Amino acid sequence: MTDLATEPFEADAVPAPPSRWRAALEWVVLYILSIAGALAISAGLVAVTGNSWQKVFGALLDGAFLAEGRWGNTLTVAAPLLLVALGMVIGVKAGLFNIGQEGQLLMGAMAMAFVGTKLAGPGPVLLVFGLVLGVVAGGAYAGIAGVMKYRRNVPEVISTLLLVFIAYQIVGYAITTDWFLRDTDPDRPSRAVTSAIMPDGIRLPVIRMFGNEFPIGFVIAVILAFVVAFVLARTVWGFRFRLLGSNPKVAQKMGIAANRTGGMALFLSGGFAGLAGAIMLAGGSSGFRLTTGFATNIGWQGLLVALVAGSNALVSIVVAILFAALRTGSGFLASTGVDRKIVDVVQALLVLALLIPPAVMFLRRRRKALAMADEEIDILNEEAV
Amino acid sequence: MPEANSDFVLELHGMTKRYGDVLACDNVDLTLRRGEIHGILGENGAGKSTLMRMIIGLAMPDAGTMVLDGKRRRIVDPTQAAEHGIGMVHQSYSLVDALTVWENVELGQHGKLDPGATRELVVEVTERYGLDVDPDATVRDLTAGMRQRVEIVNCLCRQPRIVILDEPTAALTPSESRYLFEVLVEGVRKEGWAVALVSHKLDEVLQATDRISIMRDGRVVERVATVDADSASLARAMVGRPVTLRTTAAAAAVGAVTEETVASSGDGDAHEGGPPVLRITGASATAADGAVLLDGLSLDVYAGEIVGVAGVEGNGQAPLTRVLSSLIPLQAGKVTVNDQEVPSGRAGAMMNAGISVIPADRLDSGCVPQMTVAENLVMSVLGQVATHGVLQRNEITSRAQGLIDEFDIHTPSPDTTLAELSGGNQQRVVLANALSCDPKVLVATQPTRGLDVGAVEYVSGRLRAAADEGIAVLLMSTDLGEIAALADRILVIYRGSIIGEMARSEFDVDQIGLLIGGSAAESGVT
Repeated sequence: MTDLATEPFEADAVPAPPSRWRAALEWVVLYILSIAGALAISAGLVAVTGNSWQKVFGALLDGAFLAEGRWGNTLTVAAPLLLVALGMVIGVKAGLFNIGQEGQLLMGAMAMAFVGTKLAGPGPVLLVFGLVLGVVAGGAYAGIAGVMKYRRNVPEVISTLLLVFIAYQIVGYAITTDWFLRDTDPDRPSRAVTSAIMPDGIRLPVIRMFGNEFPIGFVIAVILAFVVAFVLARTVWGFRFRLLGSNPKVAQKMGIAANRTGGMALFLSGGFAGLAGAIMLAGGSSGFRLTTGFATNIGWQGLLVALVAGSNALVSIVVAILFAALRTGSGFLASTGVDRKIVDVVQALLVLALLIPPAVMFLRRRRKALAMADEEIDILNEEAV
Repeated sequence: MPEANSDFVLELHGMTKRYGDVLACDNVDLTLRRGEIHGILGENGAGKSTLMRMIIGLAMPDAGTMVLDGKRRRIVDPTQAAEHGIGMVHQSYSLVDALTVWENVELGQHGKLDPGATRELVVEVTERYGLDVDPDATVRDLTAGMRQRVEIVNCLCRQPRIVILDEPTAALTPSESRYLFEVLVEGVRKEGWAVALVSHKLDEVLQATDRISIMRDGRVVERVATVDADSASLARAMVGRPVTLRTTAAAAAVGAVTEETVASSGDGDAHEGGPPVLRITGASATAADGAVLLDGLSLDVYAGEIVGVAGVEGNGQAPLTRVLSSLIPLQAGKVTVNDQEVPSGRAGAMMNAGISVIPADRLDSGCVPQMTVAENLVMSVLGQVATHGVLQRNEITSRAQGLIDEFDIHTPSPDTTLAELSGGNQQRVVLANALSCDPKVLVATQPTRGLDVGAVEYVSGRLRAAADEGIAVLLMSTDLGEIAALADRILVIYRGSIIGEMARSEFDVDQIGLLIGGSAAESGVT
C-alpha cells in the first residue's frame, strides 16, 4: 500500500464526454420543446377566454406574414427593433447596461422631425442629414448618462432609465410648441396634437416585392447587424469594448480608459436607438408625424430582443423578426374577438421559453452526476453483500 | 482494498471527476485515519483541490465512493458534510468583511439566530485551542494571519472530526504557520481528529504530517509515511522527474535555502555605472476611506537585476502593484522609467512606458478568463496584430501559437477560453503576456503563489532569464525563500514604505524576519 503508482490503472472507468453533435441536438430539442410549451399554454389561455386557439394562431400568422402585404409590415417593425437591440449588444459587450432606448429613440425621431419639417434643401441630403442627426441625438442623450457615470459614479442603469421619462416630456413640449415642431396647419385632418408631417421628399425609399412593401430601414438594420458583429469580433475597437466589459482593470492597465471607451460605447448604444427613431419617422410610423405615443414600446422591446438573442448581433436579426411578427400579427386579432392583451402574454411566455433551456441544461448535468454516484454506491453495496 | 479498521474515519475509493476533456481526479483512493495528519502534496492542477471539494460536497464525483465510519455515503453539499463532522478551512478566504468574527461564525449555524450562544461558542473554541481571536473584531480590520485564524475558528465551531485544510499557509508568515500547525497537532492528539492537509510546500508537509499522498495529473502516484520521506524524493514524485533542488528556483519552492544557492547566482553590484531603469521616489497613496496605502515609498531598480521586496502581506505590495499597473494614481511622489516621468493612474501609461506587471491575483488584473487564450496572449500588443484596425486572425493565431510553444502552455487550442485552463497554465499565459511586449521593467507580485514545484521552477527561471536579458525586475513576495533565491538586492517593505535594504551577500533570514515585522529600529539596518 506504499506505492500505488505500480498498481494497474483502469483507463475505461471514466465515462467519455458526450459528443458535440449530440449536445447541439439536445439544445435544439430543448428549445423546440420549450417554445412548443409556451404555445400550448398560450392556446390554453385563449381557450379559457372562450375563443378558438386555431383561429387565434391563424390570425397571428395571417397578420404577421400570410395576408397580403403583411410581411412587409413585419419587416418595417423589425427594423427599429433590431437597431435598438444592436445598440444594446454594443453596450452589454462593453459592460454597460443602457436601458433607456425608448427615450433615446424619441430623441432620434425628434431630430429627424426637426430636419424634415424645419430645414430646407434637397430631399436626399436632408434625409441622410436627418438620419445622422438622429444618431447624434440618441447618442448624446445616452451620453448624459455617460457623463454622470464617469464624473459622479451614477449607475447608468438608473440614469438611462430615468432619462426616458424626461424624453417623454421633451417630446410633449416640442409638439405642443408652435415655434418648435407643432403642426400649425389649419387644414390638418385630425385635432390631435402632433408634429408637422414629414414632407414627401424626406421619406425613406420603399422596397416593393411580391405585393409587399417596406422602407429600406430593414435593409440598413440588417447590414448594420453584420457590421456590429464584425466590429465586435474582429476589430481593435470591438476588442477594446469587450476587454472593458470583461475586465475593466486589465483594460485600464492596457491603456483602455473606462471613461473614453465606455463613453463611446454608451454613445453608440444610444446612437443606434436614435437611428431607430429617425428611421421609424422617415419610414412612416404614426403617419410620418412625431406624437407623444410615437415610441410605442419599441425601445423596451428592442432591449428584450437583445437579451433573448444572448447579446449576439446576428441572432438579434431573427429574434427581431419574431418579435415584430408578434406585434403585426396581433393587429389581426381583433377580428377573432380576442383581447389584444393576450398577445402580450404570448410574447412574455415566448421570452420565458427562450430562457428556460440553459437552466434546464444546468440542472440536468447536476442530476446526471448525482445519479451516477448513486449507481456506483448501489453496485458497491451489492458487491459488499 | 483496505481491510476494515476502526481507525479509518474516511475512505475514498476510485474518486473520479472530469471537467470537459480534463480528468481532474482519476480513480483516486485515499484513507484518513483518526489521530493522524495526512498530507496531500501535488502540483497545481494535480487534482488536490478537486478531491477535497468532492469530500465536502462542493463538487459531484463522476464515479467513486466515500466510506464514512464504515458506511458508504454520498455528500451533496457542505451542509451535509458538516452534519457528518467534516469541516474545511478554505484556500481563499470565505469570510464576510463587513461582519464581526462571531457574526461570520453565526452564518454557518443552524436554526434561530442566537448571538449570545454563538459568541460563547467562539470564546470557548478560541480558549480551548489557544487561538487568539477577538470575537467582536470586524473581519475587515484583521490581518491575513488573523483572518486565517478566524477561518479555523469558524471550522472548529462546528466540532468537526475530519478537518480539511486547503493550502492554509499561503498568506501566513513562518511563525504564523508554525502556530497553525501547533493547533492542528493539539487537536489531533487531544480530540482524535483526522486531518487532511493540502499543500504544495514540501517542508511544511514534512514537518506537520504523519503520512503523505502525492498526487500528479489527477492520480495518487505515491503514498509514504512521513518518517520515510525526504524532500528530494517527494519533489521527484510530485513533478514526475528528478528535480535539481540545488537550482535557485526549486530551492525557493522547497524553502531550503543553502549557502551554496545563495552564493551561486548574481552579485549585488550588477548595476554599478548606469542609471536606474525604474525609479520610484516618495510615492504616497491613500485609499478612499483614508487608509494609507503607500507612505513615501522610494526604490530603484537597475537594468539586469532582480530586486526582491520582502514583507508581510498587506504592507503596500498590492497598492504598489496597482500603481505600476496604472490602476490607481499617486497623491505624491513619482515613477520614472529611464528618467522619463510616467503619469500615474492614466490608462496604459505604465505599460506604454515599458512596465509589465504580473499581479498577485491574476484574475484581478492579469488576464481575462472569458476571452480566449489567443486573445489573452495578444492583448498587450493589439497594434501589432491589426491592420487598419482590423484584427488579423492568422497573425493572432500564429503569434499565440508561438507563445504557447515557447511558454509550454497546455491548452487544447489557441481559441480555448482561458477559464478552461488550470491555474498553472493561466499563470503561464499571464507570464507570456507580460514578457512578450518587450518590457523594460518587469514587476512580479507573488508570481509563484499557489504554483507547484515544476511551475515555480519555470517561473523563477523566466524571471532570472528576464533579468539576464537586461530587464529590470521587481519581485514582491512574502516568501523569504523565494526572495533569497532570486533577488540580487533585497528591500523590506513595511506599512507602505521601504524600511531596509541588503545585498544578497548580506542576506540574513533573522534580520529580515525582524524587519518585515517592522522592527527597523532594533535591527539597525536602513
